[in-house]
Amino acid sequence: MKPKLIIGILAIVGFTSLLMYNFGNSISTYVNFEEAENRSTSHVIGNWDNSQEYGFSRDTMQFSFHMKDEDGNVRRVVYPRPKPNNFEQATQLVVIGEMRNNIFHADEMLMKCPSKYNENPEFELATGGES
Amino acid sequence: MIAKIGHLLLSGAFVASIAALILYAIAAVKEDKTIEKISNWLWGIKGVFLCISSVALIYLIMTHQFQYYYVWNYTSLDLETQYLISAFYGGQEGSFMLWIFCGFIVGLGLIKWTRKPYRAPVMFVMTLTQMFLLSMVVGWDLNFTQIGATPFRTIAQEMPNAPFILANPDFVPSDGSGLNDLLKSPWMMIHPPVIFIGFAMMTVPFAFAIASLWTKTYHEWIRPALPWTLAANLSLLTAIFLGGYWAYETLSFGGYWAWDPVENASLVPWLLGTAGIHAMIIQRKSSRAHKASLFFAIMAYVTIIYQTFLTRSGVLADQSVHSFVDLGLYGQLLAFIVVMLVVGVGFYLYRYRELPSPQEESKFLSREFMTFTGSMLLFILGFVIILGTSSPILGKLFVANPTPPDIQFYNDWSMPIAIIMAIATVFGQYLFWQKHNWESLAGVLILPLLITSVATVLSIVLGDVRNLYYMVFIFAAWFTVIGNASVMLHLLRKNPKLVGGTVTHIGFGALLLGIIASSVYTEPLLDQRTANYNQRVLAGDVFDDEGFPVTQQIEMFELEINRPKLINNKYMVTYEGFDVSDSPRPGQQTYRLRFEPVDGGSTFYMDPVVYPMLTSSSADNIEWSVDPHVRTGWLSDIYLYVAGSQYVEQRNEELERQNRRDPMMPVGEENGESTDVQNIEIHIGETISAGPFNFTFREFVPAAEEVLPENTQIGIRALIRVEHEPSGNAYDVEPLFAVYNEDGRSYTYSPPLEIESWGMNVMFSRVHPESDSIELTVHGLDENFEEDWILVVAEKKPFVSVVWLGTFLLMAGFSISILRHWKREKDTQKRSSAKS
Repeated sequence: MKPKLIIGILAIVGFTSLLMYNFGNSISTYVNFEEAENRSTSHVIGNWDNSQEYGFSRDTMQFSFHMKDEDGNVRRVVYPRPKPNNFEQATQLVVIGEMRNNIFHADEMLMKCPSKYNENPEFELATGGES
Repeated sequence: MIAKIGHLLLSGAFVASIAALILYAIAAVKEDKTIEKISNWLWGIKGVFLCISSVALIYLIMTHQFQYYYVWNYTSLDLETQYLISAFYGGQEGSFMLWIFCGFIVGLGLIKWTRKPYRAPVMFVMTLTQMFLLSMVVGWDLNFTQIGATPFRTIAQEMPNAPFILANPDFVPSDGSGLNDLLKSPWMMIHPPVIFIGFAMMTVPFAFAIASLWTKTYHEWIRPALPWTLAANLSLLTAIFLGGYWAYETLSFGGYWAWDPVENASLVPWLLGTAGIHAMIIQRKSSRAHKASLFFAIMAYVTIIYQTFLTRSGVLADQSVHSFVDLGLYGQLLAFIVVMLVVGVGFYLYRYRELPSPQEESKFLSREFMTFTGSMLLFILGFVIILGTSSPILGKLFVANPTPPDIQFYNDWSMPIAIIMAIATVFGQYLFWQKHNWESLAGVLILPLLITSVATVLSIVLGDVRNLYYMVFIFAAWFTVIGNASVMLHLLRKNPKLVGGTVTHIGFGALLLGIIASSVYTEPLLDQRTANYNQRVLAGDVFDDEGFPVTQQIEMFELEINRPKLINNKYMVTYEGFDVSDSPRPGQQTYRLRFEPVDGGSTFYMDPVVYPMLTSSSADNIEWSVDPHVRTGWLSDIYLYVAGSQYVEQRNEELERQNRRDPMMPVGEENGESTDVQNIEIHIGETISAGPFNFTFREFVPAAEEVLPENTQIGIRALIRVEHEPSGNAYDVEPLFAVYNEDGRSYTYSPPLEIESWGMNVMFSRVHPESDSIELTVHGLDENFEEDWILVVAEKKPFVSVVWLGTFLLMAGFSISILRHWKREKDTQKRSSAKS
């Protein structure tokens, strides 16, 4: 009984530590563009900088735009897919990818859209000016 | 008025549930039948109150009373009736009400069927959960805090400081903001009720587990609890299936499963419920695993509440595609999960020493060991998934600002667990019905192993599988299907009612086969050029302007109208145009793509749709959404959507111009009449470019007598080839030039020829004999003319059908088992009532 108990405990401890180790590796932290320079894959949160040109190019088959991260760094981001549907509305963007030579190559892009549940100024417009 | 009644009755239901809770507790402690009866009445009253207030909410929705926030937020005037009804549970508050309603019905069943001594304690636990759920929707504004959010609050109560409310407190919007277009699907209508039936039924094993700890009767409780757990699992599985199918057909991420937190939220309780079922089955058969079955029954429900907490408290707001509204219920949800943990796990630990434990350990080759292994593996898998889903909380142990884990995390752990599980099912099933030692087991497994090997080799060869790990996975999956099938054949001859377990396990194996085929071997559909480009990207031969290697492959292709492209060396695909219609969604475009298999086979069409999202589009901004077309087949599906099109691009440009109110129109649009006529002087054999078009004057062609006017002196045609250079589309036209006499004067006759698809007219207007050239007059030549184009994202997914088949088999197996265990429970009840 005793040795089995020890083996059992060892197995549980071993399994749990492996799991936690792997879990710790598979999550990462959000960074800004400058920190992203030295990493292979980064998650960057920011906003679309709409003062500069953006759009999908049918020559390179890429969508490119400028994004300002939370610390104010602006970088060009390229994304190898068409412009996401709700890009302009997004209040916040998360780009996941790699920084190379000051250009962020996004493999994935998440958009946080303004919640229609908040008090939003479009309310009156959408409902017709009855008031 | 109606809303007031609804609101009051919800409060009434909450109060009734508190009263019932206290009375059930007294009834359980004193074992008093009369008090139990009164509590049952209270349970019924609570249910009636809830039903009336639900009807009130539905009434407000159906009569479009937009002064109520819930009605305004989730419905609109143009919503079809069926979606108006389902809008009842479209929001967070209503979905709580639906959950409570399902729990109420389940409770009625328990009152009727539960035997002593469990009845009062079971109903106590049921009432406790109902009380917590009701507290989420009562909307009591105590001065220091708020309890719950009522669906009956008005817009003025919801946003008292909004300018339009300050200006006019009685403001009633003329229309609601409507239901999200993506949710307008019959699948999404039935998905929530099914999942809440599952949640409500999963409360039952939890309640029985607590009741058994309470009454210290640890053997009997699983008999009534088992069929409920099976039924809860069937519901959850159905709900997961509906959600996956909807995601596959409607969303553009291209799959049925994405390890999204909300998907995980329904999967984990299912896994733990299944673990519980395995433990209960051992307990019933061999009087073992009492601790495990209690533990899993408790955890299955606790995970439901935990995942409810994660998805509805706003913790996951950044991570999920499912946007649940944060109603400020964080504290209440936290209290709910803590109380359930204390009541469940706390009570369990308190009684732990008293729980029966087996006299001797089970051998490795026994049904007990194998079944227990299965249930532990299910638990571990559930644990891993919970860990991943909890990353916003638990990730803080590692980094400050944690991101969700890579999808790889889930795949890395679920694959090996699934392989061991798969193999254990076969051993478990063989040992379940007959005792075996190594030798006899080897004897019966020879044939299944042989067939499995053949099937595996065939799959590897036909599917061109190169990865050893996948080979092992495929072997394990086939082994599950074939091993369990051989047990099933055996059982069919003996007693067909017993096949539930084997059918479920065959379904599990099929599911694994379908998953590996459809996820790992999905291939993008691409034209040759893009495929070559991707090859070069893989080889590291593509560099961008700065000389850095490009690592991103392109997974879409462009089609120009009526110009077929060879896709994957398999289909000639032609974009034939699109229609714009206003039904069912205003402004939706249906694109038409013809697929001709080059190796024969019949031609088919795919019709993906692009439409403006009603809820989020406004007059000056259209948010486009796609509706993919999935062509299902036994061997493979084709999944396709239009990711961009000339039409959409032009609409966006128009809107942008309107928004800027730019007085400068692009050249050729405002005063287009004057600029779109061009005269081209051209020699024979010469090519002249005008805008994106090339005009080539090939030769003169004699004109037929009958088309010429009378008294013609000269009549000749010019063969002109007009080519649109960017697309390569070309037309040959033969405009006519004639000179004829009438009343002694000469006239020229040069009728225009139309090239319809370009909106262009070509006229042969003059002959210059002195320079040996002719003059063409071209109307409608647009300098910026571009052929219609679309961007297509398409994938071929093999054997998605097998995923669904596996799911259906799982459902069928569960259903057979439910019937069997339910019948046995009824028989026991009859026998015991006959005895007493």
